[in-house]
Amino acid sequence: MPKRPSIGKRQFLPIAVVAAAAGAAVSGAVLLTRAHRVADHLASNGPAEVRTDQYVSSNGCEACHPDHYRSWYRSFHRTMTQAATPDRVLASFEDVQVTQVPGRPMELHRRGRELWAEFDDPDWSGGGAAPPRITRRVVLATGSHNQQIYWYATGHDRLLGQLPAIRVVADGRWVPRRSATMHPGDAAMYSETGAWNGVCVACHATSGRPRLSAPLGSEPIAAARVETMAVEFGIACEACHGPGAEHGRVNRNPVRRYRLHWAGGADPTIVQPLHLDPKRASQVCGQCHSLWEFLNPADERDANIRGLPYRPGDDLTASRFVVQPTRNLETPTMKTLLQDDPRFLGDVFWSDGMVRATGREYNGLIDSPCYQKATDPQRTLTCFSCHAMHQTSDDRRSLAEWADAQLSPAGIDRSACVQCHRTYGTNVTAHTKHDSNSPGSSCYNCHMPYTTYGLLKTIRSHQISSPSVRATVETGRPNACNLCHLDKTLAWTSTILSQWYGIAAPSLSEDDRTIAASLVTLLAGDAGQRAIIAQSMGWAAAQQASGGGNWMAPYLSLLLTDSYDAVRYIAGRSLRTLPGLSDVEYDFVAPPASRMAARVEALRRWRQIRVTRSDRALLMNVDGTFNAESIDRLVHRRNNRRVYYRE
Amino acid sequence: MSAEDYAGRHRRWGWSLLPLFVAFGLVLEMLHGFKVDAYLNVSNETRRLLWTLAHAHGSALAIVNIVFGLALEREPVKTMANLGVTSACLLAATVFLPLGFFLGGVTSSEGDPGLGILLVPPGAVLLIAALLLVARAAGRR
Repeated sequence: MPKRPSIGKRQFLPIAVVAAAAGAAVSGAVLLTRAHRVADHLASNGPAEVRTDQYVSSNGCEACHPDHYRSWYRSFHRTMTQAATPDRVLASFEDVQVTQVPGRPMELHRRGRELWAEFDDPDWSGGGAAPPRITRRVVLATGSHNQQIYWYATGHDRLLGQLPAIRVVADGRWVPRRSATMHPGDAAMYSETGAWNGVCVACHATSGRPRLSAPLGSEPIAAARVETMAVEFGIACEACHGPGAEHGRVNRNPVRRYRLHWAGGADPTIVQPLHLDPKRASQVCGQCHSLWEFLNPADERDANIRGLPYRPGDDLTASRFVVQPTRNLETPTMKTLLQDDPRFLGDVFWSDGMVRATGREYNGLIDSPCYQKATDPQRTLTCFSCHAMHQTSDDRRSLAEWADAQLSPAGIDRSACVQCHRTYGTNVTAHTKHDSNSPGSSCYNCHMPYTTYGLLKTIRSHQISSPSVRATVETGRPNACNLCHLDKTLAWTSTILSQWYGIAAPSLSEDDRTIAASLVTLLAGDAGQRAIIAQSMGWAAAQQASGGGNWMAPYLSLLLTDSYDAVRYIAGRSLRTLPGLSDVEYDFVAPPASRMAARVEALRRWRQIRVTRSDRALLMNVDGTFNAESIDRLVHRRNNRRVYYRE
Repeated sequence: MSAEDYAGRHRRWGWSLLPLFVAFGLVLEMLHGFKVDAYLNVSNETRRLLWTLAHAHGSALAIVNIVFGLALEREPVKTMANLGVTSACLLAATVFLPLGFFLGGVTSSEGDPGLGILLVPPGAVLLIAALLLVARAAGRR
């Protein structure tokens, strides 16, 4: 029998060589790409991204959860901090000069993929002498939804400084960093060098660790050792689901995975916030969306090295002091905080304890009756009653629309509330007394009005409440009715609420009985209150409910020269929403004379298009002139307390 | 069965399956064209991958069957040993591989395919076995 010929080694050799070469090429490409990514932020003296303590980063989640990864990737949580590269920053660095900074203009340049800035040293302490120019590489960017802030490597360890101007996304323009926050116009300058390392890292990165040799502010930052690191920049999967190493490891076993698929239960190796009890579920969001402090100095030092000890599913209050004056005003921790900073509460809360600064939505939630009084877990208000951190399959909106507020389909307008308040859903007009399709029949407009401020705009209060004239009188917080019916007095609102809902009418001052509540607040309120009214005057629904916006123009014009940058910005924005005034030239950070000229011009333009409306509540006389005496009186009565929001 | 019988069988299988899987490719293109969520939504990425693999493997294996049928008409494959086993392995692989990918994509969860995917590994083993047997025969001098 002849020997059967076989394929010889020589025939396999070329194939093996080609396969080996291809494998080497692919491996090399992967390694080079990875090395390039790492170099983006590690070679720049910026904070380091280090996988540690059972964290694997979002890269480890993508393969098995591509749909969840995709919606997270589109979310503004991901971009809360990111390495500053040309494709990630919202501003151009192509040889741009930025004049909206203190001192000499800032120059921006690109060197390949690196972004560089030349500007006056914000940490210069040389007295009256002009600060020296410094040139630094921009390594991180925070935010991308409303504003983007840029951080440069100082060259000292991993310490970051902040560029003196930020990008306002809606306007596509630079504004001085200080002008983007609510603070008195004459407040002293201060440096934000070290702020990302010591403060932002806690919530603008996943498992951030400041690693400062001394608490921020306790010694000159330049003298401290700064080895800041985070597991991942931005708020990634493991911020809400907990460290994923064990989950990834055990689920490499396909038998385990299929058993879980069939059983349909939760995987105990990872936290699913939706499967937690309502209070623990909301605490996952509350770890960042609340005002909190460390329980003691030792905890701060520990978190400084190891990161915050809270993990999703834990009891947040076991490791944090969630500042809530309605609950813990008399506690020793609160008293210590108030000793250190007596204005601490007033900068964040209304006098009745309702939060007024943005980013603290958890504080609002836990004082809401739908959360406090609920006894059935299925009917307890949580963040997830309205919000979905991943776009759901029944959501027909685009990813961009979903990402704007991360509302679930069930959280869009009335459907959120009628999940529990079903009777209102069947006959909404009986409850709201407004047309069912009008803004007055939106649950949110009446029970979550825009009374919280931050990021150059107002946002909805996340403490569910009912319109209350008494609360307005006692706290100065505008009520929902008068935020829409801007031309009505508090007395009008009080009467309506009494007739419709039997709410007892509080005693009112002469001004509250005769002058539109919006004007009393706009003219006599503090900066935060003025901002709220100015924003409402730009709201189409409020303009329509208030007999058109024409009458608002002179009052918004007044605010164009307000002493607070943020109030001026909002007033200018609202003024441009009024008919005939959309092209008013106004720059809220221009020199005072220029702002005054814009105010005069706006008034001149308004006089040409004014709609005569004799209304005593609007401080307009029968002859069309203003009630200057009342206006002056209210302005002189203005609450000039210094307003700083902890945004 | 003679080598001619096997050749005819594989040509028939190949020419029957090729239009079927090409048509399946057309269906996939239509799912793209009409942006059908059940196929294109990122949550159905596994389905899209597996059905693409079903289309590709089905089409390729149909061509392999045709080529094998043609190869059986001439030496040295015509007189290869274990022809029956080789033919059975190739036909089984032709069924198991695309069907496994297709069924695996019908249901999926968190990136894991449905249980139909279990047909793929034996299909792959059978295909490799068939190819090795043919390669050994083709390498004869």
